[in-house]
Amino acid sequence: MTDVQTPQPQQEAVNGGAGEAAGGGAAEPPAASPGWPRWVWRQLTSMRTALILLFLLAVCSIPGSVLPQQGSDPAAVQQYFGSHPGLAPWLNHLGLFNVFAAPWFAAVYLLLFASLVGCVVPRTFRLVGSARTPPPRAPRNLDRLPHSSSYRSALPPAAAVDGAAAVLAGQRFRLRRPGQRGSDQQDRGHWVSAEKGYLREVGNLLFHLSLLGVLLSIAAGGLFGYKADKLLVEGQSFADTTSALDEFHPGRLVSGSDLAPFSMTLNKFTAGYVTSGESRGQPSDFDADVSYAASPGAAARSYHIRINDPLSVDSVKVYLIGHGYAPEFKVTGPNGSVAYQAATPFIPANTGTLLSDGVVKAPDASLGFEGVFVPTGISVDGTLQSIFPAADNPAVSLIGYSGNLGMDSGQSQSVYQLDTTAMSKVSGSPHLLLPGQTWTLPGGKGSITFVGVKQWVSLAVTYDPGQLPALVCGILALAGLLLSFFVRRRRVFVRAVPAVSGTGSLVTVGGLTRSDASGGFEEEFAELAAEIAAAEPGSGPGTPGQAGQAGQPEPGGSPPPGSRTEPGA
Amino acid sequence: MLRARRRTVVTVTAVVAVLLGGALAATLLTEGGGTAGGGTATSGNAVTYQAGHRPLAPEFTATSLTGTTIKLSSYRGKTVVLNFWGSWCPPCRDEAPTLGVLAQQYGSQGVAFLGDDVGDTAANALAFTRSVHVSYPSINDPGYAVVQTFSQVAPVSDTPTTVVIDKTGHVAGMVLGAVSYGEMTTLLHQAAVTS
Repeated sequence: MTDVQTPQPQQEAVNGGAGEAAGGGAAEPPAASPGWPRWVWRQLTSMRTALILLFLLAVCSIPGSVLPQQGSDPAAVQQYFGSHPGLAPWLNHLGLFNVFAAPWFAAVYLLLFASLVGCVVPRTFRLVGSARTPPPRAPRNLDRLPHSSSYRSALPPAAAVDGAAAVLAGQRFRLRRPGQRGSDQQDRGHWVSAEKGYLREVGNLLFHLSLLGVLLSIAAGGLFGYKADKLLVEGQSFADTTSALDEFHPGRLVSGSDLAPFSMTLNKFTAGYVTSGESRGQPSDFDADVSYAASPGAAARSYHIRINDPLSVDSVKVYLIGHGYAPEFKVTGPNGSVAYQAATPFIPANTGTLLSDGVVKAPDASLGFEGVFVPTGISVDGTLQSIFPAADNPAVSLIGYSGNLGMDSGQSQSVYQLDTTAMSKVSGSPHLLLPGQTWTLPGGKGSITFVGVKQWVSLAVTYDPGQLPALVCGILALAGLLLSFFVRRRRVFVRAVPAVSGTGSLVTVGGLTRSDASGGFEEEFAELAAEIAAAEPGSGPGTPGQAGQAGQPEPGGSPPPGSRTEPGA
Repeated sequence: MLRARRRTVVTVTAVVAVLLGGALAATLLTEGGGTAGGGTATSGNAVTYQAGHRPLAPEFTATSLTGTTIKLSSYRGKTVVLNFWGSWCPPCRDEAPTLGVLAQQYGSQGVAFLGDDVGDTAANALAFTRSVHVSYPSINDPGYAVVQTFSQVAPVSDTPTTVVIDKTGHVAGMVLGAVSYGEMTTLLHQAAVTS
């Protein structure tokens, strides 16, 4: 580092550190950089490229929020294919239905990563270097600096500079005095250089490293995390294994055996609703009472999952994301034997009143039913409607079908839809059932009993190992950014020469900030200069503590002293 | 200049390491994980484990749909065909007659058939086994507990899945999705070779 140091500060003093931001490559001596790989690398690691890539990353993620995505909503993607048969295949070729897994997205991501790494790694060395490097020598003509002032001291030059150095050291400046280094031998004057604000570089570095940390955390989450959905009816249980989950979106490096081996049972779900006032029917509270075991054979524990209060088990979080009703039905076939008995989840068609749709499939009695469930039902002009989301007066309205449900052909079908192509209605009009009632189908086809009502919850099972590190890195990045915004890197130089007339000396104080964006250095410098002058017992007569006006122009004095504080350029 | 050069070397090394890591990540991102280890072979939707590479099937004790106790270790010495199914699942209903035929055919040759009825109610499952005349017992597993223990050793990731366990209690192979008669007879012959 030492050999680079001597020419550099002079140049930086002029540039005010403007070249700093451009990243690592810019400071390398151009003579030592032949060949295009180096040029490419320098371009890649420049701040401009990093910003372009960051912008590109943002632009590239726009289709992810505009177009339906395979990962989050495959049904919507299918719909899109249906409604845009010409365009959809092209979009699919471009990976626009799975943006965050598309190769071009990965390319931007990795280039940004490489750019940041290429910027931060050399910067780390530079910071370490500059932390070990003392401030540069004081320039000869301090009054040429953006800020300068001078005063007359009664002390000889060496003592005056000593006094100034003590003030600067007291303000936690890093100091450099003549004679400490070989190169200083040429400049045997009386001076001190001081520098402060190294935290700015630390903040800068912290910001960049944290940004890398955020990217790494997101990558870790994408590779090792997973998301899954599960619908669970009261009294039912499920084990966290892929075939038990309704939707499963694993990270790239997740296999089935990586899932946290917990299991849980939904004992009871309670939803509270506002019963009066304008917001009548609005949900006030949800509470899923569950028992869970962290692994097979482990002791069961109980927990109440609420909104914003997920269950944490084995670093997996289980969120409550939805609920609904599952009317329980019993279907008997023509021979009187039970062909179906289960609580059947119905999907809310109206989220306010929880009027819900669903189907009952009893393939072993060749019967199927399409139903509407109302938690608090009234009949309006012959159609069943719900007036409140709580199950105060539950009822179902069923349309019965008999025939082949198409479930034995091996073709997958939705559990929420009835394929009636090979079926016929058993009666013309829908049949209304209250809990406990049985509808005996005409023609001896069997019967269906509305046994009772249960509720279901929709659970999101998420594992994101990158979540906490991403949060920590985000906070650190912000802290680093603030540091680099609010801390100024500034240098103060003091030089004393023997006074031309009489005893004492002429002391010049010069100041320079390497980042003038944040302003305010002018005041700081004025105060500092005043303090330096005031620390002097024998400073110029009639100027106690006011260094700004302290110095009297020295007639015929070489160097020409600036007795004023010049505003920054 | 020497130090500057050393710093360049360190920088380049660090950057090359990161790029290699990135390239690895990119490969994983585009390909996806889960390549099979040694000793396995995949054909169609069947997976075979060569003798010596077979994972030990996890022991379980469970209750059947009709209330009897089923213990996997009590089948030791027999080849076991364990079919994960549900009456709600069309491919399971489709493959059930094939499994019924195989059960009759291989029952006398030391092969035991066992079902694991998942995500289902006993009433629905029994209605189905009556209508397709499935004679072998099935575990009542509405909460997927047995599936979970198996998924720790073999990729039982969807319903239906059929696992063939050899006489020593190791997983010899499996069919992911509905079975075909040919796949099953091949698997059963391979499972008979235990060493």
